[in-house]
Amino acid sequence: MLRFVVRRLLLLVSVLLGLSILVFLWIRALPGGPAQALLGERATEESIAQIEREYGLDKPIYVQYWRYVETVGQLDFGQSVTTRRDVTEELRQKFPATVELALAAMIFSTFLGVPLGFFAAKRYGGVFDNSSLVASLIGVSIPVFFLGIILKYIFAVQLGWLPTVGRIDVLIELDHPTNFYILDAIIAGDPNALLDVLKHLILPAIALGSIPLAIIARITRASVLDVQNEDYVRTARAKGMAPRIVDSRHVLRNALLPIVTVVGLQVGFLLAGAVLTETVFAWPGIGTWLVDAIESRNYPVLQGGILFVALVFVIVNLIVDVSYAFLNPRIRLS
Amino acid sequence: MSIAELESREIQLEQPQGLWSDAWYRLRRNRGALIGFGLVSTFVLVALFAPLIAPYGPREQNLSLVADGCCPGPSAEHLFGVDQLGRDEFSRVVYGARYSLLIGVVSVAVGLSFGLVLGAIAGFFGGITDSVIMRLMDIMLAIPGLLLAIGIVAMLGPGIWQIMIAVGVVNIPIFARLLRGAVLGQRENDFVLAARAIGVPKRTILGSHILPNAVSPVIVAGTLALATAIIDVAGLGFLGLGPQDPATPEWGTMLTGTIRYLQTAPHLAIIPGIAIVISVLGFNLIGDGLREALDPKLRGRA
Repeated sequence: MLRFVVRRLLLLVSVLLGLSILVFLWIRALPGGPAQALLGERATEESIAQIEREYGLDKPIYVQYWRYVETVGQLDFGQSVTTRRDVTEELRQKFPATVELALAAMIFSTFLGVPLGFFAAKRYGGVFDNSSLVASLIGVSIPVFFLGIILKYIFAVQLGWLPTVGRIDVLIELDHPTNFYILDAIIAGDPNALLDVLKHLILPAIALGSIPLAIIARITRASVLDVQNEDYVRTARAKGMAPRIVDSRHVLRNALLPIVTVVGLQVGFLLAGAVLTETVFAWPGIGTWLVDAIESRNYPVLQGGILFVALVFVIVNLIVDVSYAFLNPRIRLS
Repeated sequence: MSIAELESREIQLEQPQGLWSDAWYRLRRNRGALIGFGLVSTFVLVALFAPLIAPYGPREQNLSLVADGCCPGPSAEHLFGVDQLGRDEFSRVVYGARYSLLIGVVSVAVGLSFGLVLGAIAGFFGGITDSVIMRLMDIMLAIPGLLLAIGIVAMLGPGIWQIMIAVGVVNIPIFARLLRGAVLGQRENDFVLAARAIGVPKRTILGSHILPNAVSPVIVAGTLALATAIIDVAGLGFLGLGPQDPATPEWGTMLTGTIRYLQTAPHLAIIPGIAIVISVLGFNLIGDGLREALDPKLRGRA
């Protein structure tokens, strides 16, 4: 077990090192420069040179890379070119927004997807099974941003039940010690703010959670179908164990393995792939932040943001791998 | 038993059911796959014959139609209504099929060809070549797909060809991994050992013994990748990274501007969106059907 984790960690280091080089080179390959983007079209040569000196962009490339590794090692991603604030500080503000959204989407898709898949497998070949298969196929075929627009049209524009954009109503004042607005509202003890935050969260979470929902339901169904025909399930049934206990103790627990993997992989994708959902709902998270950074050639934000997102993605995958080995003794031993 | 009967049985024995005819047989009985074929062939026909189907040009503006505000909905002259510049929405969606099909096919072809070569080399030669290639693929996979695509477009600049390349590059590691796995699986087979024993050159073993046997998972993944590619391309278009001429009838790009008119003209958002869903659904259905038809493990079940 320990050796497995250590080996995975070593792999992680090599991937991150390669990633940092790739991101660094990629940023240098972007057309135009940050100085140009910051100063606009009428920038003079001197002002560009001055900005470049200020950000160390005039040094040779390996010097720049070494400086970059040194500072990133101290979790210092530099200053945003447009806002002049520390990238780390902005990250601390944007990342919770995306995490909150991703977690809400994950809760929605897991708590709906697992039961759906389970009942579909129980009624294998029945009406419920077939309709859930069709629904999940349509689910993976709808682009997130289109679903977002449709949800927005129905529930926000037509029915007026839910807000269309942002994380909280502009008129509500709330301190943000954690930047997880749900926690912030609870800390402040403000039920109105909490309700408003939750309302803002519903539509983006459903839009973002639709594809994971479809995938989780399908995997659960397939996995339960596999396990249901195993000998130990038949034995448990044969010795007269109550069906409910067979389902919970034997079927679901063993069917859980592939589900954990899929849920874990989806968390990683959600954290990073929320770009489109965030754009539709004007959600001030990592996605919109990075897209804006690309437009303004905001090198430090791009470097820090992409590296950070990839780091989170890789670590989540590592945790999934390890928990998989933990849940499944067969992998641990081999 | 008559002689004729004996003969007919012998003829049957001479024609064993091959993988492809077997798969074709099961595919034909799969209702989902048939619907998928229907959707995709409609999509392809619309793309091919767009000028014959569309009543107006995709860029033809008629501002007098939107003089009373945006935007008149479906009517007899304009089946799906008109957009904010008085362009016929139906014609634009029809022409949009061309862009989506072209972009989807080209980007998957880019990913497929590079991914296949890299995966085959890594799987067949193993050792350090394998390590280097697969670590590189791991690094690419460490950046979430859409973000990687956005990054590449940022480097190349927005545009149709750029998003094709971007989505294609995102697909490379997926195909590389797939093919490496398939080659590794095939490499241990007895017929490969036999070929090696009689001195068949490595390249020939790879080309004529290993690759043909690794083809079916690639076909399945390729079909499903087409579905994902169409969604990704539309997503990039939606973010404004697609064709820079806003008159281009690309479905994702068409959706971008319409959020502002959601209250008065929801059809502008709904129609291109449904077009995307239908084409993606078609490829997904075919991909699923192919997987079931080609997977030997599932063969008994259908």
